[in-house]
Amino acid sequence: MLPVNRSMSDIIALYIHIPFCLRKCKYCSFISYRSRESDFPSYIKALKKELSLRACVCNIGSVYFGGGTPSLLSPEQLSEILSSVKKHYLVANNAEITIEANPGTVNAAYLAAIKKVGINRLSLGIQSFNDTELTMLGRIHNAAEARDAVADARSAGFDNLNVDLIYGLPGQTIEEWRDSLEEAIQLSPEHISQYALTLEPEEPLFKEIKAGKLPDISLDVTASQYQMAENILQNHGYIHYEISNWSKPGKECRHNLVYWQGAEYLGLGVAAHSYIERRRTGNTDDIDRYTASLSQNVLPLLIVDEKINFDLEIAESIILSLRLCRGINIKDFEKQFGIDIMKNYTKRIEELREYELIEFDEGYMRLTSKGRLLGNEVFWRFLPDRV
Amino acid sequence: MKQSKTRNFCIIAHIDHGESTLADRLIELTGTMKSEKIGEQIMDSMDLERERGITIKAKAIRLLYKAKDDITYELNLIDTPGHVDFSYEVSRTLAACEGAILVIDATQGIQAQTISNVYFAMDHNLEVIPVINKIDLPNSEPERVLEEIESVLGYKSEEVLHISAKTGQGVSELLETIVNKIPPPKGDINLPLRALIFDSHYDSYMGVVAYISVTDGSIRKGDKLRLMGQGTELEVVSIGYFNPKFCPTDVLVAGDIGYIATGLKSVGECRVGDTVTSLIDGATEPLIGYKTAKPVVFTGIYTTQPEDHGQLREAIEKLSLNDASFSFEPENSPVLGNGFRCGFLGLLHMDIISERLEREFDLSLIVTVPGVKLIVTRTDGKQLMVVNPSDLPEPTEVQLIEEPWVKISVITPSSFIGPIMDLVTQSEGIYKHTEYIGQSHSPDTLGQRVRLEYEIPLRLMLTTFYDQLKSRSRGYASLDHEVVGYRETRLIKLDIMVNGVIVDAFSRVVPPDKAHEIGKSMVEKLKDVIPTQLFKVPLQASVGSRIVARADIAARRKDVLAKCYGGDITRKRKLLEKQKEGKKKMRNIGKVEVPKEAFMNVLKLEQ
Repeated sequence: MLPVNRSMSDIIALYIHIPFCLRKCKYCSFISYRSRESDFPSYIKALKKELSLRACVCNIGSVYFGGGTPSLLSPEQLSEILSSVKKHYLVANNAEITIEANPGTVNAAYLAAIKKVGINRLSLGIQSFNDTELTMLGRIHNAAEARDAVADARSAGFDNLNVDLIYGLPGQTIEEWRDSLEEAIQLSPEHISQYALTLEPEEPLFKEIKAGKLPDISLDVTASQYQMAENILQNHGYIHYEISNWSKPGKECRHNLVYWQGAEYLGLGVAAHSYIERRRTGNTDDIDRYTASLSQNVLPLLIVDEKINFDLEIAESIILSLRLCRGINIKDFEKQFGIDIMKNYTKRIEELREYELIEFDEGYMRLTSKGRLLGNEVFWRFLPDRV
Repeated sequence: MKQSKTRNFCIIAHIDHGESTLADRLIELTGTMKSEKIGEQIMDSMDLERERGITIKAKAIRLLYKAKDDITYELNLIDTPGHVDFSYEVSRTLAACEGAILVIDATQGIQAQTISNVYFAMDHNLEVIPVINKIDLPNSEPERVLEEIESVLGYKSEEVLHISAKTGQGVSELLETIVNKIPPPKGDINLPLRALIFDSHYDSYMGVVAYISVTDGSIRKGDKLRLMGQGTELEVVSIGYFNPKFCPTDVLVAGDIGYIATGLKSVGECRVGDTVTSLIDGATEPLIGYKTAKPVVFTGIYTTQPEDHGQLREAIEKLSLNDASFSFEPENSPVLGNGFRCGFLGLLHMDIISERLEREFDLSLIVTVPGVKLIVTRTDGKQLMVVNPSDLPEPTEVQLIEEPWVKISVITPSSFIGPIMDLVTQSEGIYKHTEYIGQSHSPDTLGQRVRLEYEIPLRLMLTTFYDQLKSRSRGYASLDHEVVGYRETRLIKLDIMVNGVIVDAFSRVVPPDKAHEIGKSMVEKLKDVIPTQLFKVPLQASVGSRIVARADIAARRKDVLAKCYGGDITRKRKLLEKQKEGKKKMRNIGKVEVPKEAFMNVLKLEQ
């Protein structure tokens, strides 16, 4: 159980997982269930129960509805959840409240309604402005609907908008990727996230590639696409602040920064993860078990429950901070952990500099442009020898 | 009188023809053990044996069988290894018996290795009971198989039993036939002791335990004995028979099969095939000419992490206590550091030992390209044995190289003769003989079955010969081989350089005119099995200072976890931990991380 009394100065992030989709995308490994609209009320009831059972006196700086497809919930249902959040937690006045939305599920009226219930940041899963690519990915929307969704969001008054894009698709050329990216930029979102397609063996798209129905993903092309995007986005005034994230100045995603800064977060809902007081937990990924235990006033089964010891904390801190483009402030790090990075990792740092994967600048250690593409080669070197 | 009610026999069968299942059924039908207790095929006890479906080490069991004549017979069944690598062990097992059940799969017919075992049994005057097994299977062809048995082995159809070891059909008749046809042991209890060692293993409590077949005389606990071939002297610590567990007893007499615990420290002192006699007033003639099985396949074994070398040494020493047929000598590789050059009876034997080293001793190993033992005569007339390609002298210092050849025998449907002939020719082989088996064509269109004989250098059998034989015959061909001796050859050393560093573990001896072709396929293969690195890696094949082939591994450009939020940081970190763990299974060569599989796989899929 979580401690109830916490210092008022602690700011934590709240994540709420909505595990429903109209249809599962062909590249998705997140927990989501298809067409279970009838389950929404019981799931929301369970969420509210979890919110109350895990209530704590702490400041919520951000709320994030992730999925799945949170935009399948009605404005009333979202409002119901947010009310429950406010009932059990102290939510800062200026809290960032984000919802992930599928362009195929929203219209102007809906967006206006959810803006009204307090959601102030919209993350649109556009992925691509190329209909062929969207079909290949198994998305339910097309490019026209994506453009409409952005326009509707603006007219609904959203002034903090993120667009998610995916590159590195099977057979996708550098030019095709550039077209999608440029179209996104024309819509002037405050924030752009772009992810290289990463497939797991159980995903349909993976199987289609293995079966030879789609060409293999070329890592060379993917790397070039990334480097091109870095240039284009910079030219359009976007600041690259994390490996996969760009924003207009001051529009970084505060919620996600919490993860990268090693701060605390509380995850609610099926398969949601929390990190509180150096303990990382993950709820069951079985929705029926989740709702069943909460209907009994019992917190859901944990499928992850890990004490993060000092060595791990240090490793995770380095790995996560290196994802941020500004890197690690070496002095701050020493203040926090009492460890001199330069002395503690001399050999590894030497090796990484030799490969031109990291660089040092004004008291920061950070990934180079090459290193951002080869981050794993940097990250694993900072793992403790024995876990 | 006891002897007249004893029958000692073994089972000769090709892999998967049902030897272990038949053994289980005999155990069950004689009531030696209840069926539910047998578990799955009790006679194969090593995990590896079960997994590979083969029998590696011979074992024995005593069955008490009450026959139709109301007399209870003691049947001693000795399990035999089913693979040609262990043909020496098979031959000693056969020599310990008076009879053998020859099991042939009704769906497959006679296989190449079966024939040499049957001939050996005939040479030793064993009573052979031919049996067609698996007649319960819908695709069984007992008529065709019967014809093969008649034509190749000369048995009459009425001598051949039809059984299903799986269902038990015909196994009762087989038991009666064993009693009626196999003669009792012929030895004399009053003569000086003579017992044949047909297997042995090392036990940390009892020392070496020798499995023996007593021909003449008797043995008691405390007896002082001598091995006639090796000269080892020993005292019997304990004595017993197999049930199939060890059952201690007071005495083993002529005709008995059992074990003696010797207290010896290594099976190398108590080898299979030797004859045991009394230390004082012992016999003068051994039962069978004693020789040791000689390793023919050699490879370097190293640990992926150099600091684990000490553990490897210990593991090899321990394993050798239990297997006297593999040899090992320390060697030093400029690239891989300290390791061992090990000799094996064949490729399967090599696989088994290296797998046991990894599994039982928790080691991560690099096993280098296997090779043969060459006899090299230098220009100064001195001869040397070369088992490591790196030790091959410079061409200018070589007067003559000789390499081992094998006679191979292939049984295949005739429609594959052409492709197999091509394979043998490409493998530097020579055609010797063709013999048709049976008269009838099988119902399919593959043609009459035929036995082909060739001779090829053993070196060629160590790469993909068997795989290619199988693929060219759509899986139908079976193969047997025996070493026939050394012949003159022309060979040079082919080196592989990774990022400019010669990796001796990849070096091989090849005919000069094949250097380019083999070098090219090796670097191409390595290009596939070595993952991309943070920089471009040139792979070169060279003969002396001459580069004969080259391939480059392009630098890796992208390797980074895309999403790292949603809070599931534990899973992401585990992925990185796996990546880090994977580095331990790699060997760093000239800054290049080479996975251990590369060392073996470089030979696979080669055309």
